Amino acid sequence: MGAIRTEELLLNVGPQHPSTHGVFRIIVKLDGEIITEATPVMGYLHRGTEKLAENLNFTQIIPYTDRMDYVSAMTNNYVLCHAVEKMMGLEVPERAEFLRLIVMEMQRVASHLVWWGTYLLDIGAMSPFLFAFRDRETIVQLFNELSGARLTYNYMRVGGVKWDAPPGWLDKVREFIPYMEKKIEEYDRLVSGNEIFLSRIQGIGRYDAETAIRYGLSGANLRCTGVQWDLRRSEPYSLYDRFEFDVPVGKNGDCFDRYLLRLEEIRQSLRILRQALEQMPEGGETMGKVPRAIRPPAGESYVAIESPRGEIGCHIVSKGKAEPYRLKFRRPSFVNLQILPKLLVGETMTNLITILGGIDIVVGEVDA
Amino acid sequence: MDWLSASPVTWYDALFVFLWGVVLMLVVLGFVTYAIYFERKVIGWMQFRRGPNRVGPFGLLQTVADILKLLIKEDTIPRKADRLLFVLAPVLAFIPSFAVLAVIPYTQKLYFADLNVGLLYYVALSGISTLAIVLGGWASNNKYALLGGMRSAAQMISYEVPLVISVTGVVLMSGTLNLRGIVDAQSGGWFWDWNFLPQIIGFAVFVIAAISELNRTPFDLPEAESELVAGYHVEYSGFRFAFFMLTEYVYVYAIAGLATTLFLGGWHAPAPFLDFIPGIIWFALKFAFIVFFLFWLRATLPRIRIDQLMGLGWKLLLPLSLANIFLTALFYELFQR
Amino acid sequence: MKGMLKGMGVTLKALTAPKVTTSYPDTPYMMPERYRGIQHFIPELCIVCNQCARICPTECITLTGKPNPDPEKKGKVIDTFDLNFEICILCDLCTEVCPTEAIVMTGNFELAAYSRDELYKDREWLTDNNTRVREDNNNIGAPQKGGAK
Repeated sequence: MGAIRTEELLLNVGPQHPSTHGVFRIIVKLDGEIITEATPVMGYLHRGTEKLAENLNFTQIIPYTDRMDYVSAMTNNYVLCHAVEKMMGLEVPERAEFLRLIVMEMQRVASHLVWWGTYLLDIGAMSPFLFAFRDRETIVQLFNELSGARLTYNYMRVGGVKWDAPPGWLDKVREFIPYMEKKIEEYDRLVSGNEIFLSRIQGIGRYDAETAIRYGLSGANLRCTGVQWDLRRSEPYSLYDRFEFDVPVGKNGDCFDRYLLRLEEIRQSLRILRQALEQMPEGGETMGKVPRAIRPPAGESYVAIESPRGEIGCHIVSKGKAEPYRLKFRRPSFVNLQILPKLLVGETMTNLITILGGIDIVVGEVDA
Repeated sequence: MDWLSASPVTWYDALFVFLWGVVLMLVVLGFVTYAIYFERKVIGWMQFRRGPNRVGPFGLLQTVADILKLLIKEDTIPRKADRLLFVLAPVLAFIPSFAVLAVIPYTQKLYFADLNVGLLYYVALSGISTLAIVLGGWASNNKYALLGGMRSAAQMISYEVPLVISVTGVVLMSGTLNLRGIVDAQSGGWFWDWNFLPQIIGFAVFVIAAISELNRTPFDLPEAESELVAGYHVEYSGFRFAFFMLTEYVYVYAIAGLATTLFLGGWHAPAPFLDFIPGIIWFALKFAFIVFFLFWLRATLPRIRIDQLMGLGWKLLLPLSLANIFLTALFYELFQR
Repeated sequence: MKGMLKGMGVTLKALTAPKVTTSYPDTPYMMPERYRGIQHFIPELCIVCNQCARICPTECITLTGKPNPDPEKKGKVIDTFDLNFEICILCDLCTEVCPTEAIVMTGNFELAAYSRDELYKDREWLTDNNTRVREDNNNIGAPQKGGAK
């Protein structure tokens, strides 16, 4: 029997694979089912957003940001508009800022719902996906009424928002909050206690706070290790300093903590939404005083906000023209993904899917 | 079917047997067609969808259309595949799945083969399908298929053991391996005379092991869609793929029939005053419940991991089923003599 | 075991819950008022100011004008107006900048075609696309200087 030779199996996972969330590819070396080496390959969805932006004016870039993190287009809109506003020192009317905040929090709920559904689908449960998409549909429909699109909203503008809320829209959001709170409990009953599910994700993909910080992780991927870092709280932007909400943290830094955190973040988002709807001014402008030509003064600025996936940043280098000289997005999915090869070594093929799903990437954002 | 052994077999008898086989085949095909339809409907309803409703009234012809599409699809064999094994695997998978149906009795009168070792025959034949899945996975010359095939081999061998041992308790109680005999032994009139209560441990082990044998959620690792794309049948398409699907659903039929026979009292009514309803209806009801239960599980549960699956099989189910035999034997030794 | 049973209870309850599927191709799906669907073009209103072509982030609009046939009037009238739906992202910017609302959004969204050629919509097609036209276009006027030409 000594003559039998064994060798490692080189397996291409993706770019066309049901669980790589799009066109992400990992080359894994397998010893049996144990991964000895994993090399992520990205770029299959690269559209050159940053390069394209150098030839576009700032209003034209906004639809492109929709397409980066297409699960959370509103936060992408916001980070660009906010960066330009900060450079130009523009005032945003209060009602517009409230509308932005409301749609961003709704977007966070929608984004986490997509994550929840697809994660459970990765783990092998079919129904949660449809449960999540049924409720996400409510949000998408509300956005459709507000901005006229279901996925790529192009809703925010430098200095304000495109539309005021249509009549009755805010009431629909108000009704949505208790509905969603009830649904979260249903989700908990459906999945969170399931023993198979727990055994699949508890203790999987574990890392400590130091590693997380060294890899530059952000969002739930960082908070699951116990680091309380949420830009909405740590460096408040928009109107977040006016609201009461908790920044939930985990302690084990495994997939299960990330799962719980994201569900908790939905609850916190609903809490913020409820307060925002109460404090919102009745009427007012939705577009601030913006010069006809948006030309940020020469210089650089970096603005970061908390997207559902972590810290999304926008770095503008301006030479005083209508187009940016250089535009750079710090995409949380891309940064969070960097820890993947380290986490995968020694895991099984099955855990690869669990860990990759737990990081919560959107390939449009990874490749931009 | 005593006439078979009573006189030499004539051509007439052979034709008769063959026709019965065809009838069973048609019944099974009808079951598979509508089991798939029913599964899609039930899972659809559980997910706030309507399920198939486009082809025919209420979508009743959806599966027929699907099968037709598979049959007229171009037959592809990967260039680097092992052609002979690749072609052989789906056939080898299907034949035992159909052959095991022979021993399942539907009512007192309606049965196909009255084997004295019926249970043993079932277990022996169903093991062959594993071979076919491994062959299919190997012959495809695809890494995902290979992983699926390997998982399948590991899984089915590990779960064959607790499956067989869990039913030994039933055999001890009934004193026969003949499936009709086992049903007859449960004829107390009430539902607590059925085996599933006295053999509750055996029943639980049997259900878990059976679902695993069927490769269905939560034990659908060999074809784990989110990891292995489609597992062992990644490279199969057209009617060869249809055969793998058919095998899977015929085994659903077989396992549901076997569970009904072994643990749920076969054709017996749950209470004496319900005896006026024919046995075949009772059989069908219990059978349908088990099939529904499988679909229900599929709509709810996530997939288990391969190492946990092995752990569950060897560390929990096997000791439990052994303990069950021991307890059953002890009980009979102490009280029934 | 308890968690699994709870989950199975949820799915069992969903079995009889109201279904959310819409019968889309049979009954048309009605998009809300603000929906950004395929543009409707009104040649009479167009003043050939080129703003839509300039603001378009994907440069999918090409238009040409000709001198006004009525010698009394100044300015140009539209001659050709082509919209390439292979690359149009329906971002709403062209309708936002149009000073005369000659190009407006509609609630129509079905663009599937068997050939790419069919996705090049010309002036006549866009003019005939006149159902479910959006009333309120809220052209807040985006900045016009710079950007893709």
